[in-house]
Amino acid sequence: MTAGTASRGVRGERRAEMITGFALIAIPMVIYATMFFGAMIYAAYISLWRWGLRGAREFLGFENYEDILSDAIFWKAVTNTVHYVVLWVPLTMALGLFLAVIVNQKLRGQTFFRAAFYFPTLASSAAITVVWIFLLQPDGLFNGIREAIGLSPLFEALGFGPNHNWLGNSATALNSVIALNVWTTSGTVMLFYLTFLQTIGREIYEAAAIDGAGTWQAFRRITFPLLRPAHFFVATLLLIGGFKLFDQAIIAGGRGGEPNNSLTTIVLFIYRAAITDSEFGYAAAVGLVLFVLIFSLTLLQRRLFGQAPSW
Amino acid sequence: MTAEVPLVQPAAPTEVGPAGDRGRTIRRAIAYVFLVGYAILMLIPFAWQVITSFKTDQDALRLTIIPDPFTLQGWETGFLTLNPSIPQLFLNSTIVAVGVTISNLVLASMAGYAFARLRFPGREIFFLAILGTLMIPDQLRFVPVYLIERQLGLITREPQNYLGVVLVLAIEAQQLFLMRQYFLSIPRDLEEAAKIDGAGFFTTFLRVMLPLATPALAAVAILAFQGAWNGFFWPLLILQDQSHWTLPLGLFQFTQEFLTFWPALMSVTVAAILPILVIYIFFQRYFVASVAATGVKG
Repeated sequence: MTAGTASRGVRGERRAEMITGFALIAIPMVIYATMFFGAMIYAAYISLWRWGLRGAREFLGFENYEDILSDAIFWKAVTNTVHYVVLWVPLTMALGLFLAVIVNQKLRGQTFFRAAFYFPTLASSAAITVVWIFLLQPDGLFNGIREAIGLSPLFEALGFGPNHNWLGNSATALNSVIALNVWTTSGTVMLFYLTFLQTIGREIYEAAAIDGAGTWQAFRRITFPLLRPAHFFVATLLLIGGFKLFDQAIIAGGRGGEPNNSLTTIVLFIYRAAITDSEFGYAAAVGLVLFVLIFSLTLLQRRLFGQAPSW
Repeated sequence: MTAEVPLVQPAAPTEVGPAGDRGRTIRRAIAYVFLVGYAILMLIPFAWQVITSFKTDQDALRLTIIPDPFTLQGWETGFLTLNPSIPQLFLNSTIVAVGVTISNLVLASMAGYAFARLRFPGREIFFLAILGTLMIPDQLRFVPVYLIERQLGLITREPQNYLGVVLVLAIEAQQLFLMRQYFLSIPRDLEEAAKIDGAGFFTTFLRVMLPLATPALAAVAILAFQGAWNGFFWPLLILQDQSHWTLPLGLFQFTQEFLTFWPALMSVTVAAILPILVIYIFFQRYFVASVAATGVKG
């Protein structure tokens, strides 16, 4: 074999490798280019227009963005979403951490409990929400159980009658959805914390025990501070997830976020603007505002943690 | 020879030393009481849903554990009266979930292999772009995606409507990462051997690498199926005709229309949850391993 044919052979192989490479990524790249990046550019473009499904289109400049500011229902949606995030994130973290610490002990049936606590995250959110609606009916199981175990006086004191309609009352609807999602998401958070907990060495606890530290003190002075990276990681992840709340809100409150827009979240607001009102330009504008918000949070998360830790 | 790399590391044992002192015993007892209590609390919604599906409409409002009378009325309504019926919803969910699963298996393994092993210009930039798609949540791109799919004629009452949902979920970045990561972990000698035998890059991928990647393919299949089966957001946007509704979408629509037929509604929720429960029982480790990749659902 001469040097010439050998190098042609290598070049031919390089070419074949290149062509195979492009061919193998072609379909995903086309999908990402249109359905993600193209889509966002398209959204930015139509956000400058009055853009319906049919009829005349009109260039508005930044009018859609200005309209957002004076839209009372938009602000209601923002308030609801922030209310949701402010309660849901810390409560989910607290329950998730609590479950993780307990499940992390060497106990019989540990694997079963972990699996059971994680399952609600995997089950259909629509199905779980419908079950939740059923449980929280005025004459539903929740009100029945609290009556049966004698908790009703407590609820009475808080102003909730024996047949309180949790999801049908604008004062309690959003908090009822928060309770649902704290329950379902805490399983995921538990798993995150568990992986972090398993990186903490036993020796440090033994040293603390020798120094006479009790369980609670060991948790407060050792576990909790050592979990700092986990706290940040989980918090930003939940924060981003919280701003995307939609499924449970629309299933429990319908397209109108009933009662009285108490379940209208930002994403539901965008959905309604687009699908119910056919105001695609306006919907795109609101979507971009939320995108900037979530994007900054994501950047913050990546800045703090790099890629998701590998476990 | 197979180069199987475990997807899941077994959990490290967390406790050392003998358990003896009273403090630990008490702590354990408290932990057990809590664990069992919480597990029961968690079981209640699921149990109640199953129980209610066997009650009559009137009995469903009573807080009794044993259905009185025990009846299949709810399931009958679900199977015969509801439009679409449970079998139809189940079929639609299956069509969408299987479509998404196959598409992710094919596309993620091909692209994952290319990114793991092949050299071509722009590889790093393309990969960064895919990483970038993770920054664009579904909830924010649905307006333009809806309009694009309308242009493509996928938002319709015809059967290609299913394709509209599959297209959006056709290749999820997490699945691509999972495959790439796995291909990277396979030793190179096997490919070299195939290459010396004169196999081309695609043949090497198909005949040598793909069979070695079975555990990763299983993970992709399970995760993609679960995600698509539970999917609510895209079906709600894209599926136009009642006859195309998936289980979650059907549940939403039924809930909006008739809130009082609880046994029938609960039978639909059981149909929506049961397949995932079965998959979870058999393939638990895949789900636990994927938590990092999939993040938190909204």
